Amino acid sequence: MKKIFAVALGILTAIGGFLDIGDLVMNAVVGSRFGLALAWVVVVGIIGICLFAEMAGRVAVVSGRATFEIIRERLGPRTAGANLIASFFINLMTLTAEIGGVALALQLATDVGRFMWVPVAAFAVWVVIWRVRFQIMENVTGLLGLCLIVFAVAVFLLHPNWGELAHQATAPVIPDKESAATYWYFAIALFGAAMTPYEVFFFSSGAVEERWTDKDLGTARLNVMVGFPLGGILSIAIASSAALILLPSQIDVTSLSQIVMPVLAAGGKLALAFAIIGIVAATFGAALETTLSAGYILAQFLGWTWGKFRRPAQAARFHVVMFVAIVLGVAVLFTGVDPIMVTEYSVVFSAIALPLTYLPILIVANDSQYMGEKTNGRLINVLGSVYLVVILAASLAAIPLMIVTGAGQ
Amino acid sequence: MTKLDARLHLLDRQLLDDEDAPVGIVDDLELEGIEEDTDIDPSAAAPQVTAILSGHVLGTRIFGGTPPRSRLQEIPWELVASVGVTVKLRPTDMSFDVQWTEHWLRDHIIAHIPGGRHASE
Repeated sequence: MKKIFAVALGILTAIGGFLDIGDLVMNAVVGSRFGLALAWVVVVGIIGICLFAEMAGRVAVVSGRATFEIIRERLGPRTAGANLIASFFINLMTLTAEIGGVALALQLATDVGRFMWVPVAAFAVWVVIWRVRFQIMENVTGLLGLCLIVFAVAVFLLHPNWGELAHQATAPVIPDKESAATYWYFAIALFGAAMTPYEVFFFSSGAVEERWTDKDLGTARLNVMVGFPLGGILSIAIASSAALILLPSQIDVTSLSQIVMPVLAAGGKLALAFAIIGIVAATFGAALETTLSAGYILAQFLGWTWGKFRRPAQAARFHVVMFVAIVLGVAVLFTGVDPIMVTEYSVVFSAIALPLTYLPILIVANDSQYMGEKTNGRLINVLGSVYLVVILAASLAAIPLMIVTGAGQ
Repeated sequence: MTKLDARLHLLDRQLLDDEDAPVGIVDDLELEGIEEDTDIDPSAAAPQVTAILSGHVLGTRIFGGTPPRSRLQEIPWELVASVGVTVKLRPTDMSFDVQWTEHWLRDHIIAHIPGGRHASE
């Protein structure tokens, strides 16, 4: 019974914790412009993140090493250093977007301006990281994040023509108003949002934090294989709701209020309240994860002590780095930059940086000295290699497409 | 006896103390039995690793050159307990200079913030 409960809790938090500001914004943007013509990208992204998260988790359990220790060891200080700088910068961008997202959601709920909420949100992130146990942190934000199910409920309440939606998803056509370049630009952005590298840094470091053993590996795998795809369904629900309400009225998504508009239209204020709680939980949870990732990757690269399982005094540099990262994020937000815009860029840059994270994981998951009998099987390797090609293609195409389309304009 | 490749199995590995807490990274190795800038006689005895070097050398590892020895701490090879996916050290009284910043930040900042010395709840 206890075991069933643990598995259920793990799956639920995996669903609720799956979405972040990148997924929320990009799915709504894409839904409002392309309908469900890019839903296939979410599917491709989910399979990818499942594949590599499982690999990173397995490596962490078997070797006790988190992702960035491995990157340093395998790529040497020079290449890994370049990788670290890129990863750290993109992670910082994501962190900024997440804190901005929390502030925007609270603004939507209270009518108090976002600049008032930014320091509050940032302070809350720091306090949780400083004092709250890892597991409690994960479970609370994950469970509250389940409120985002309201987007799926909204789709049902809107009584869509299901055949039409399914047709949009299965036989994608580029709308007349959009060019092929914007279509592919948003495909890459959506892919980057689904496969954001911090998820892997966080997942593998979390395995070390929670001291997973071989026994936990099965549970962890189940969480990933069931929780992430169900989280992905929420992504598609957000895109569907935007396709149903925003696309016909040609409303552009420029703020959170447009993202929740379909929910309000379908279910009124109560539904909106759920959506806001869900968005706050999802972005707050992701802000915690990206802040921790900033500490994890730097500490792992440099061989410092790290982890929430240690007292802050036993991981002083780790905590100082995270504090500085939060302060930097807040400083960027106070320049007045639009968090939604930061989000849109952060997912594209994530897509560019994908090979830096995923290639080393694939290499180490095949190293029998590390993995013993838990090295990758043939099927996983075939899939992993196919994905590496996809990831490389997305990474290389991202910048040219960004220039050609003027970042999707 | 298993073969170790210095580059693959030692360099850039995580150094852990006897309580599994990270100490630093294996940044370089001290070898005995070879002279700098001279060819090695193929029949000569293999050089021995006498110490692990760790320290603030990231800059030179990335951009080249050698740092002054004062920037590197020597950890005698006798202290190495095992070499696996990490390099583990035996219990020792040795204090690790590499951790100077860690201790400074701990004593001057982290320990002064409420809750800094307690485990999370």
